[in-house]
This record gives sequence, structure tokens and C-alpha cells, in this order.
Amino acid sequence: MSEILKVEGLHKYFGKLHVLRGIDLTLEKGEVLVIIGPSGSGKSTLLRCINHLEDYQKGRIFFEGRLVNPKKDVNYLRTKIGMVFQHFNLFPHLKVIENLTLAPMKVLGVSKEEAEKKAQVLLERVGLLDKRDEYPIRLSGGQQQRVAIARALMMDPDIMLFDEPTSALDPELVYEVLEVMKDLASSGMTMIVVTHEMGFAKEVADRVMFMDSGVIVEQAPPDEFFANPKNERTKEFLKRILSF
Amino acid sequence: MIYQIQVLVRSFDYLLIGALMTLKITAVSVLMGLVIGTFVGMGRLSKSRAFSWPASVYVEFLRGTPLLVQIFLIYYGLPSLGLNLKAFPAAVIALGINSGAYVAEIVRAGIQSVPKGQYEAARSLGMTHGQAMRYIILPQAFRNILPALGNEFIALLKDSSLVSVIGITELMKSGQIVISRTFASFSIYGGVALIYFGMTFTLSRIVRYVEKRLAIA
Repeated sequence: MSEILKVEGLHKYFGKLHVLRGIDLTLEKGEVLVIIGPSGSGKSTLLRCINHLEDYQKGRIFFEGRLVNPKKDVNYLRTKIGMVFQHFNLFPHLKVIENLTLAPMKVLGVSKEEAEKKAQVLLERVGLLDKRDEYPIRLSGGQQQRVAIARALMMDPDIMLFDEPTSALDPELVYEVLEVMKDLASSGMTMIVVTHEMGFAKEVADRVMFMDSGVIVEQAPPDEFFANPKNERTKEFLKRILSF
Repeated sequence: MIYQIQVLVRSFDYLLIGALMTLKITAVSVLMGLVIGTFVGMGRLSKSRAFSWPASVYVEFLRGTPLLVQIFLIYYGLPSLGLNLKAFPAAVIALGINSGAYVAEIVRAGIQSVPKGQYEAARSLGMTHGQAMRYIILPQAFRNILPALGNEFIALLKDSSLVSVIGITELMKSGQIVISRTFASFSIYGGVALIYFGMTFTLSRIVRYVEKRLAIA
């Protein structure tokens, strides 16, 4: 396996608030990393920094071994790193198929025919080909999130970031989104997933990472992580989240 | 009274020709105001002071001074700087840049009405700021601000009566010309008012129709 992403000494402030306090992280190609932690621990912010939706005050990010220049490389980097948001953020004024084809056509210069062909394949893959001409508002939350995943995949990203992708969903719709994510993981996609779905972490993750107050507290393969958490804060968090 | 009505009937064609000019001026000014307003509105929201500051000055100054003064400044003031404009271009420019300031504020509110996640999603797909604006933010913003823009266009149509003072024979001026020959003030101004109302009412219906067409089912 080869390293695809490296984060080095990352610090992020929101004004005076110090939300990331020195994050070091490496990600191997094909690895599925699940990040868990209490709200406000900085896990979403970390994802957003990797994608440069947030700026950071200190630290460096390497993509495929090359240092990312936040002033110059972000548009290219974002075509290589797909992002799935908690609230889907589908474009409401565009049909499902247009949601998928817009960025490849405008950013990568792909022809309309080619983009639509690819969109059909991906919609099929997430099980929503029959919704291609609907507007997003007509879809359920779970369907919208699956479209959002397909939209991100249209750019052929090397890494997919998931920022609490099931947190805004009704419980009965969580499953269908997790299934798509599992399918993606088993196809070899490199993924970072911020989630509260411990079942998903146990089953799919190669590595589970626990964050609290802007630092990485502990990380390990899921079996070890859930069976033998070493840090007190990790134990406390797991006890609370797994108790019911 | 009968005389008044006779004058109105006889000069109605003449008034309609003036109304046509009013429509022409309004149409060109609306387009100009839209283009200016879109860019100035985006400028006001720019993080860079080099854009936001001039945009703010533009809006504040044009909203804070009377349109009549702006018309005089452009038609009578610019020639003393060596820039001679004919009445029609002067009128359209004055109305267009004035309307641009109001449209800018509407556009600004419209852009702010689109959730931040839309911009982030667009950027996360690799779009540039300009592409995100053009394909994602502005189309949604314009749909949201259509009613406000409609009001602005109606205001502009009525304000175009002010350019009668620089000798353009639009609806208002046409009315004045008829009155100066016939002294039928009541019926002619009444007729002028009715024609203005006919135009603004039609315009507001058109805006409402477009609004309905664009609404997502």
C-alpha cells in the first residue's frame, strides 16, 4: 500500500477558539478511516480542512506526496477529493442527472453525452436510475444522499470524505446510504468517514480514530479499538455511545 | 368636460407613441440595471476590499442622491467636462446606473438567501468561485428575488417620467405637449396616469407569471 494523504501538525482557529490542536494523520490508498468523537471535537473541521473548505493557520497537507499549496492547488485537489455532506447539498434547481453532469462538464470539460453516460452508470450503482429526471426535492433524504455520493463519484476522486452522511436522515433511511458506502469501500475506494454509526465502523473500517477537543486521542483497527480502548476518554465515550 | 374628453380621444394615439418611448427607455435601463446590479451586488459581498468598498460607495451614493439630480448631472454636467451625450443615451445611462444600485442590494440579499452549503458543494466539486456563482448561486438567487426585482422594474418604469425634463418625448412629455396646446390638463394627465397604470399592471402580471413558471413543483 502507498500513502495517498498526509496531514502534518495541523492547527485551526475559529477566532480565538482553538479547534484543531496539532493533527497528524496519514492515509493509505484504499484505506477506510472512520473518525468518531463527541460533537465539537473537531472531526468535521478536520475533513473540511483536508478539502480546504476551511483554511488552517498552521500545518501542512500532502496529497500523493506533494505539498498542497492552499492558494493555488485547491480546485485541482477538490476534483481528486470527493465530499459528501451531512445535509446532502444537492442543487435544487437542477434535475438529478444535471446535478451529476454539471461539474464534470464545466470543470473537467467532459462532453454532455459522455457525462450522461457515466451518470447513468453511477445512478444505477446507487439504485436511483429511475429518478434521473426528478428534482432533488422529490426524493427522500436517503435517496438525496445517494445522489450526492454519485455526484461526488462523477469526478473520479481518489479519496472520498463523508461528513456525518447519515446524521440528518430518518433512522429507516440510514441503512440504504450505509449500503452504498459499504459497496464503495469494498470496491477499494479510499475513504474518511466521520460518523456516529458504530456498526459501520466495526464492519467496514480499516482503522478507527477517536478525536476529542481538537486532538487525536487514540486510533486502532476496529476489533482492537472497540475491544480494548486504552485511553480513559475513549472508554468513557464508547461507554456512553454503546450503552443503549 | 366634453371638450376634455374629446381632446383625450383625439390625442390618444400621440400619447401611445410617447408610451412606446417610455417602454423603450425602461427596457434598456432595466437591462443595464440588471447587469450593473449583478456585478455590484457580488462586489458588495466580496471578501476583498478592492471590490466591496467601491461597490458600497456606488450603492450608497446613488441611493442617497435624487434621481433628478443624477439625470441633470449626466445630461447637463458631463458636457462641461467635454462629454456630450444625446438625450436618449443620457436618460438611459442615468436610469440604468441608478437602478443598478437598487438591483445590487436586491442581488446581494438574493445571494445571501442561498444556503452556504450550496456554495461549498459546488466548490467541493472543483468549481471555481465564478463557476459556483454562475451555475449554482445566481440561478437560485434570481429565483428568490424575482418579486423584488419586479417591484424595482415597476419603480423604474414610473421613474422614467423624470427624463421628460431633458426633452425626451416619452409618455409624460407627450402629455405635457398636448396640454400646452389644448389646456385639457385633467383629462390628459388622467389619461397619462391610466396608460402608466396599464403598463405597470401588465408588467407585474408578467413577473408573477414568470415566478410561477420557475417555481419547482
